[in-house]
Amino acid sequence: MRLRYLIKELYYRRRRTLTAVLGLSVGIALLIIINALSMAYHEAARMPLKEIGADITVQRAGDVPEELAGPVFACSAITIRKQEIEKIRKIKGIEGFGQALLIWVFDPDRFTIVLGIDTENPIGPGILRNNVTGGKFLENEREEALVDVSYARQFGIKVGDSITIDRKAYPVVGLVDASRAAKIAVANVYLPLEVAQKIATSAKQVQKVSPFYKGDANLLFIRADQRDTRHIVAALKSILGKGVNVATPDSFLKLLGDLFALSDKFSLATSLIAILVAILIVFKTMAGNISERAKEIGTLKAVGWTNRNVVFQLTGESVLQCLAGGILGLLIALLATFALGFMQVNIPIPWEMSPTPHFLPGGGDPVFKTLRLPVKIPWALGSFSIILSMLIGGITGGILSRRISRIKPSEVLRYE
Amino acid sequence: MSKEAILKATDLGKEYGELCVLKDVSMTMERGEFIAIVGKSGSGKTTLLSLVSGLERPTNGRVVLNNKDITATSENDLALFRRENVGFIFQSFNLIPTLSAWENVALPLFPEKMPAQDRRDRALDLLQQMELDHRVDHLPSTLSGGEKQRVAIARALVNNPKIVFADEPTGNLDSETGESIMNILKDLHAENGMSLLMVTHDLDLAKAADRIVRMQDGEVVL
Repeated sequence: MRLRYLIKELYYRRRRTLTAVLGLSVGIALLIIINALSMAYHEAARMPLKEIGADITVQRAGDVPEELAGPVFACSAITIRKQEIEKIRKIKGIEGFGQALLIWVFDPDRFTIVLGIDTENPIGPGILRNNVTGGKFLENEREEALVDVSYARQFGIKVGDSITIDRKAYPVVGLVDASRAAKIAVANVYLPLEVAQKIATSAKQVQKVSPFYKGDANLLFIRADQRDTRHIVAALKSILGKGVNVATPDSFLKLLGDLFALSDKFSLATSLIAILVAILIVFKTMAGNISERAKEIGTLKAVGWTNRNVVFQLTGESVLQCLAGGILGLLIALLATFALGFMQVNIPIPWEMSPTPHFLPGGGDPVFKTLRLPVKIPWALGSFSIILSMLIGGITGGILSRRISRIKPSEVLRYE
Repeated sequence: MSKEAILKATDLGKEYGELCVLKDVSMTMERGEFIAIVGKSGSGKTTLLSLVSGLERPTNGRVVLNNKDITATSENDLALFRRENVGFIFQSFNLIPTLSAWENVALPLFPEKMPAQDRRDRALDLLQQMELDHRVDHLPSTLSGGEKQRVAIARALVNNPKIVFADEPTGNLDSETGESIMNILKDLHAENGMSLLMVTHDLDLAKAADRIVRMQDGEVVL
């Protein structure tokens, strides 16, 4: 019964109701959009690492090789010792671990980027198993090679051929299209990790710059809960010391620039402003509505409504009105996020994570991971917005109606 | 043998700051009695009605209404007391503009826990008594002055009050409509034995009452 009264009041005073509903809906829509955008940028920043099944990558920078002949390490990826790897594996919060070995091989007739991969491990370049376009994937410890399709096309390499790396021929067992998978940890030729380790162990230029032994690696891939990232990064830095280069979703986010990355503080501040403005609109509209109805409230009290009945009625109206505002805001935000989902974002890949030497043609060009902004409204955010709308309605309605409910009927009902 | 008193006001006074609008007024009203309070504008008659009906608290004095001292009752209890015992008819009708005629009639029952259908039936029954059964779903803005006051009378009766207070019930109506409203009130008093306390400045209307109380400068005059 009182719901009928409640709805009729809102309908009768539709101009005021509409003002409050629209005001709140804009605030709620802004709150949702800003937070959804912030989450989308965070998610986008995770993509380059997510594509290789990791949340964190680790490299160590070192000296430039004296001579670019035979197998060498890029100065951005020198040896990470087996003992260090063992310590890293034990860091609390690490959920998965993978390793690889990146080698530049300067043969007399050809330059090849070689990546030694742990073939059975889905964390790291082992994930390329899903991108084989011809032949088969590598098997651990077998002296065989997987060749990138574009490199194979450039040099006319087919499955069944052999490819020479550091004066040794390896049978090509498959072709892989790494460009579909990742922008980091890509190479021309992929070998099983143990085979690549053998090459590095016997390479003079590698040993000169960065002594390398069996079981060492120079690229680490870590899967971890995002909440643990900070302390894992600190632990990595303490184990590997100076020169360590740790890439996390946060570091990619920083590369996007502060404006686009919508830092947590910025989105919190803008959300608060949006909500504050919405609250003020609701408060002002509700205050106007209530002061207009003093006589009506006096009548209700005269016919036996208690202060509590009046507060309940007016707060109910405010909550219902704000609920409508919240739902409208959510719908507006859904439309806006749908449109924003068509927006493309270019995530720059740091030069040290690009496997191509900068001195080769195209090697110095900036590399980007281009993807559609993954904007979506999580259920939690949508539900929070609706609950927040109702809370705004409840609080503003409660405050204003408590004051007006104390009105004396005789003061407002006296005929003038 | 005198009847039981439904209303007993003793030494009622009301001051607004320095201004004294009611001076030690005492009055008694028997159950089933129809009293008209008359007086010029500013004589204190509406203030007296507000005090004895519990709409306002006196500065001094005591009011016992239907055996309850309403001057020593909390705001909440007073509201509940009004809901159960008192009906009001105002000069300016005071209908809720957003509610239909029957919803306005049922307004005092809104906070009551009772089946919605019972509430509606009670309101429709009263509107039928007021010969408004063809206007039950109309908003106040579509009703004439007389119809609005009949809706207000039905609202005053919906809770089966022990006493009805009417403040200038015909003041906003033309003489013909005013007369028909007075006839309804007279009939309610005569047929149902309803206790009725009416404030009016019109002596002709007051003649319909069992007793007339005259007021002047905040005092009852003989």
